Amino acid sequence: MQVYSQKSFLIVDDFSDFRSSARSMLRELGVRDVDTADSGEQALRMCSQKRYDFILQDFHLGDGKKNGQQVLEDLILDKLISHECVFIMVTAESSQAIVLSALEHEPDAYLTKPFNRIGLAQRLEKLVQRKTLLKPILQALDRGRPAEVLAACAELCKKDPRFAPLCLRYRADALRDLNRYDELGKFLTAIIASRATPWAYAALGGLLFKRNQFAQAQGVYEQALKAFPMMPGLYDGLAEVLMALGENKRAQGVLEEAVRLSPLAVRRQMMLGKLALSNNDFETSSKAYRHAVNQGQSSRYKNPESNLGLVQALMSKNAGNGLDARTRVEINTVLSEVAKENVEDQGLQVRARLMKAASLQQAGDAETAAKLTEQAMARLDKMEQFFSVEAALVVATQLQQLGQESASTSILKGCVETYGDDPKVMQSVSRLTDDPTVLNAVSEAVDLNRQGVRSYQGNQLGEALALFRRALKLQPKNISIALNTAQALLRIGGETPPVAIMEECRASLTCVAGIPESDSRYERYRKLHQRAFGA
Amino acid sequence: MNQDNQGLDFSTVIASTVHDMKNSLAALTQAHSQWLARLPEGSGGSEQGVIEHEFTHLNGMLVQLLGLYKLGVNQLPMCPDYHELDDFIEAQLAAQQNLLQHRDILASWRIETASPLGFFDRELVGSVVANILNNAIRHAGHALLITVSDEDEQLVLCINDDGPGFAPRMLERQQEYVQGIDGQSGSTGLGLYFAARIAALHERDGIKGRIEIANGGVLGGAVFRLYLP
Repeated sequence: MQVYSQKSFLIVDDFSDFRSSARSMLRELGVRDVDTADSGEQALRMCSQKRYDFILQDFHLGDGKKNGQQVLEDLILDKLISHECVFIMVTAESSQAIVLSALEHEPDAYLTKPFNRIGLAQRLEKLVQRKTLLKPILQALDRGRPAEVLAACAELCKKDPRFAPLCLRYRADALRDLNRYDELGKFLTAIIASRATPWAYAALGGLLFKRNQFAQAQGVYEQALKAFPMMPGLYDGLAEVLMALGENKRAQGVLEEAVRLSPLAVRRQMMLGKLALSNNDFETSSKAYRHAVNQGQSSRYKNPESNLGLVQALMSKNAGNGLDARTRVEINTVLSEVAKENVEDQGLQVRARLMKAASLQQAGDAETAAKLTEQAMARLDKMEQFFSVEAALVVATQLQQLGQESASTSILKGCVETYGDDPKVMQSVSRLTDDPTVLNAVSEAVDLNRQGVRSYQGNQLGEALALFRRALKLQPKNISIALNTAQALLRIGGETPPVAIMEECRASLTCVAGIPESDSRYERYRKLHQRAFGA
Repeated sequence: MNQDNQGLDFSTVIASTVHDMKNSLAALTQAHSQWLARLPEGSGGSEQGVIEHEFTHLNGMLVQLLGLYKLGVNQLPMCPDYHELDDFIEAQLAAQQNLLQHRDILASWRIETASPLGFFDRELVGSVVANILNNAIRHAGHALLITVSDEDEQLVLCINDDGPGFAPRMLERQQEYVQGIDGQSGSTGLGLYFAARIAALHERDGIKGRIEIANGGVLGGAVFRLYLP
């Protein structure tokens, strides 16, 4: 019999009867340290102040509240619990909870209500045994060392090969974190051939997607959905692949299927809103964005882009027809939320105001629209942060519609300077303007940058740096060129770069300090920044 | 209101009501056991056994009803993984421990498989085993036995009791129950149908899981076998 007198427990449930009943069961098992919480938010606060050894988490904590799965995700992503903590999801009926967790963060066990003291004791005892068996792996996970996780798995499999299947997922995650992709691909393929699980399919699909093998990824997801048609996460993966293949209509259909299975998912609703908007299906788009906004209130994935997307969809839906009173109220509400909650974000402030101006113009209030546009433009002038490509295109379009041609052109120029090395961006920009000073601004710098990359790959570092420098002089705010220059400088500088090199490196990074966090190169920027400026 | 929503889809109504009923029952069960804990030992009497049994039976039926509904609308999620067999069996027995005590039935289990792990959907197979166990406890005289073994690379989960066994008519017509042909077969027949459907969701290399009932076994009563490939 396990001794629990030194262990700490947390019970999370919105019903006080359940909390007191679970508490008395635990007391009978010799537990002394029991805390309770009646909501996910409270549980998260408590976990940030105290390390619990065991958590009994109710799955459904009421409509509009965080559910148990969201609490678990927050606990793991914010590192509020150790991997050694025993996390039990308590449900009235487990199938929905399982579907939601199977692909991402799984609880250690499910416990179905009603349960008795003996049932609870049995689960606790067994889970402690399993955690003890896996201890070296769990500790390596807590330390964030995937190589040690692999070593611990190998050790366990050698000691007792019968338990090897319990290590599969730990090994797959570790291989992924170590970027050992070839090995990971073979490993996952073998798992699927022998005993297919939803997580293994999702991991393989995700891997192929990351390596740009879209057709193969599509095949994997389609095969997965034949075996596990109830797993919404697999639909998300398939939709992502279809989008990469340019099949936005089919991708939308797939996401709609996932939303039918599991509507409570902020990121999925947001993705659907965006896809439907690009497919000109404004009805679906506004519905999905509306869900994303509402559900976002209790989620870590709350995102102001959903608010802006919702307004965009509502305006497009009513294009040419003005806006009715109810729609105007909704637009006001979601836009003021953006303004209130993102006071420090200059870009969002500008975009929310312009969006508001555009909606007022559509509603027929040209005067207020003009005033708001002016306000937005004043802020725009002082803005240091770069817009993402998508945001820049929307802002430029709206400025055009609000009669601010020159401001629109300057936004497009900025966008081209920052992102113009990407032909897809140039394609989008050319849909909004024919201005040759915008469209041809980058060609020379982009060409030099391309030559520089070739020299860099051929290990001609000096030559590469010279080319990057020339390119950067032409387009100092181009993210790719600035990052390439910084990287070449650091490479040439070696272990302890001379002061001049460090300074040049810092200067080139400072020019692109406005890089949005959503940019795919943000991580690379952050790493270079760390090396150039110290942690 | 949308035009389509004017009529009620009765099976959806049942499903959502069953969901609420399950919650109510869970609260009732929990409150009852807390109340019992405050009473002096043994004062529950034989009625307590009846209450325990019917709570468990009712809960099992509701789970099954929800499961059947979801099977019907193709929304029963299947998520297999590796599970420790001893843990699985122990948890099943622990859930019915009060009942076993009241009826004074000795439940034992043996795991005879090469691997300590089995590959299946724990919730789904768990709901099948809970119902079969509940039935076995109702009919058993003094003992029941759960064994898990390997047979031709399949996992065989067998529940055997020392009661009177299945009626000969059920044994003869088990294929019909399994196929859901006999609509008049009552809760046992429905239970077998549900078990067979859950078993068949487990598939490997074209082989589907299945169930089998018989009389005899080590204990001489009813034998229920679940084959999982």
